[in-house]
Amino acid sequence: MLYVQILINGILLGGLYACIAVGFSLVWGVLNVINILHGSFIVLGAYLAFFAYTKLDIHPYLFAPFAALVLFILGYAVQLTIINRVIEAPVLVTLTTTFGLALLLDNLMLVAFAANFRKVSLKPPLGIIDLSDTFPSIDLIVPVDRLASMLFALLFVGLLYWLLRHTVVGRAIVAVRMDRYAATLMGVDTTKVFAVTFALGAALAGAAGALLSPIFPISPLAGTTYLGKAFVICVLGGLGSVSGALVGGLVLGVLESFGALFFGPEHSLTLSFTVLILLLIFRPNGIMGKRGFV
Amino acid sequence: MNFRTVRLGVLTLPGATALRVAARAAVAALTVSGIMTNGLAAEPAIRIGAPLPLTGALSPEGVKLQQGYELWKDTVNAAGGIAVGAVKRPIEIVYYDYQSVTPKAVQLAEKLATDDKVDFMFSPFGSGASKAASTVSERYGIPTLAPTASSSEVYDQGYKNLFGTFTANDTLSEPMADIVKARAPNVKRVAILARNDLYPLALGQEFEKSSKKRGLEIVYFEKYAINTLDHASALTEIKAAKPDWIIATGYINDMILIRKQMADLGIKAQIVTMINAPAYQEFIDATGPLADNVTSATWWHPAVRYESKDVFGSSVKYTEMFQKKFNALPDFTNATGSSVGVVLQMAIERAGTVDRDKVRETLVKGGFDTFFGPLSFNGVGQAISYVPPVFQIQNGKPVVIYPDVIKGGDLKLGVR
Repeated sequence: MLYVQILINGILLGGLYACIAVGFSLVWGVLNVINILHGSFIVLGAYLAFFAYTKLDIHPYLFAPFAALVLFILGYAVQLTIINRVIEAPVLVTLTTTFGLALLLDNLMLVAFAANFRKVSLKPPLGIIDLSDTFPSIDLIVPVDRLASMLFALLFVGLLYWLLRHTVVGRAIVAVRMDRYAATLMGVDTTKVFAVTFALGAALAGAAGALLSPIFPISPLAGTTYLGKAFVICVLGGLGSVSGALVGGLVLGVLESFGALFFGPEHSLTLSFTVLILLLIFRPNGIMGKRGFV
Repeated sequence: MNFRTVRLGVLTLPGATALRVAARAAVAALTVSGIMTNGLAAEPAIRIGAPLPLTGALSPEGVKLQQGYELWKDTVNAAGGIAVGAVKRPIEIVYYDYQSVTPKAVQLAEKLATDDKVDFMFSPFGSGASKAASTVSERYGIPTLAPTASSSEVYDQGYKNLFGTFTANDTLSEPMADIVKARAPNVKRVAILARNDLYPLALGQEFEKSSKKRGLEIVYFEKYAINTLDHASALTEIKAAKPDWIIATGYINDMILIRKQMADLGIKAQIVTMINAPAYQEFIDATGPLADNVTSATWWHPAVRYESKDVFGSSVKYTEMFQKKFNALPDFTNATGSSVGVVLQMAIERAGTVDRDKVRETLVKGGFDTFFGPLSFNGVGQAISYVPPVFQIQNGKPVVIYPDVIKGGDLKLGVR
């Protein structure tokens, strides 16, 4: 039963990880921009949700689309006015640009929100599903807020998948991801596609922040932890595809959970990083990645 | 003679710009020729170096320490400064942000010693960084006061320049274990989850010793990595071990997350002890009703009642002054920030000089009656002279449950 509980913990965590990584993966895959701002965007989304809940009494799950909208606008503006200027430069230049912007945003949040740790404390709390209440022999517990956050996150990921598959903008993004020059020849306005893609990545970060706000403590500099996870997930799952982020997130969540069980919590990352190194050696494009897309 | 200080002194004189310019030129000339004496102008500041984690994971604690330093500095400077013999010298604190990265704290301590040439230093935050940076102050012979170093491992290097105002970790675990033994005789099984970091781990080990000493069984003891984002696996194992007393050590973000995930997994226990976070209002705000009945121990609490011979006068007056300046109750990190200031001030005033050797000798002698408690140091520089209070969050408020002289309530059992 212990292993099943650990698996449940891992899947729930993995769902949240997927939500953290999908926007990052999209931007990296399509724009070839390693967006260091992504973690800070998640934190900003979490702060917006925190204040929406504490000041306006809007539930974080209801607020998530609004957080996504605010971050979409911010992301669009940042891409069009700043990142677009260096989009053709080598990846190190865009990486440094977003790193600088992340420093700026982190410190602005530090000034605006102070360094205190906060968390959305839902009233009443969503509680837990204790399976032993119904089946006395099954001692398993599912925290409802993690489950709900994961399901809402999957909903957003599903929306992105639908958008990429079934809308003109989505097809343009996929086309640019495959071959930006061929897409330009086909009449795709790559400048706009870049801005929309970056904005979508930011929107997903904003939604993720809102969904994570009842789960993780919020602080202005928490972005680096999220960013670290997003990196690993992208390498595990493969870049630029929704399914890659999903698989990468779930794999990392489950690996970390079992790693903590088998090797102790201080080595929870050991197992996942060992797998990561093996993947880099034997399957450098990740579990779901395709060769030559980036 | 410091030209900048002299110049500032002249600028405070009323009069026309021409007079100021003439005076400035005269002062500059006198300074260069070395004619001016101390009695003619404001005294140079006593410079204290303070590397702080103002950004990064430890930034909440860094900001709190800085508030403590600033309250002490502003209070002393408003009264004219520190009395050094017959003159009063203002305090200047040179801050650097080491971004919660310990190696950077050591580099900045080196810069403070060699480049800024500070007279004294305050250690960076926590036992680990304090220990790392103490090597620098020892090398340059700079008396350094550590506001937040409690692990005995910090002081076991035989250094002469390090003085810490926190008593050893076992002064937190021993009273807590005594209370548990006395008031919760059914508690037999103990689980400990400690952050793999110098102070939280050392504290976890002290709790292990204190529990074993009283015949309690340790059913779980594990470390978790710094920046852990998920504790579900560890807590699932703890739940399976069926402990009566759960002890978690770490910093505020860890404790918020662990307490939340304990509830997520339906973990209940007779006693849950978390150190350090419950001493902070942010922990209570972030965890809401989950904070109730969580016990903790800390080196200082606004409920303590010490009369003092320092610039604040007493713990009560300190709390009032802090509230006036920052519009919030001081916690132990704020208070310890001010405590290192008042100890240094009292040592300088007793020595009558800023000579480092003489100040160090005075610090060794101890016997400082401060708002933080009576402070004297053992042979290796760690405070040994006061009893840290144990408290419990009851109905959203911290209530002191030990020592008896200041207690506001008794231990309540049951955390769910």
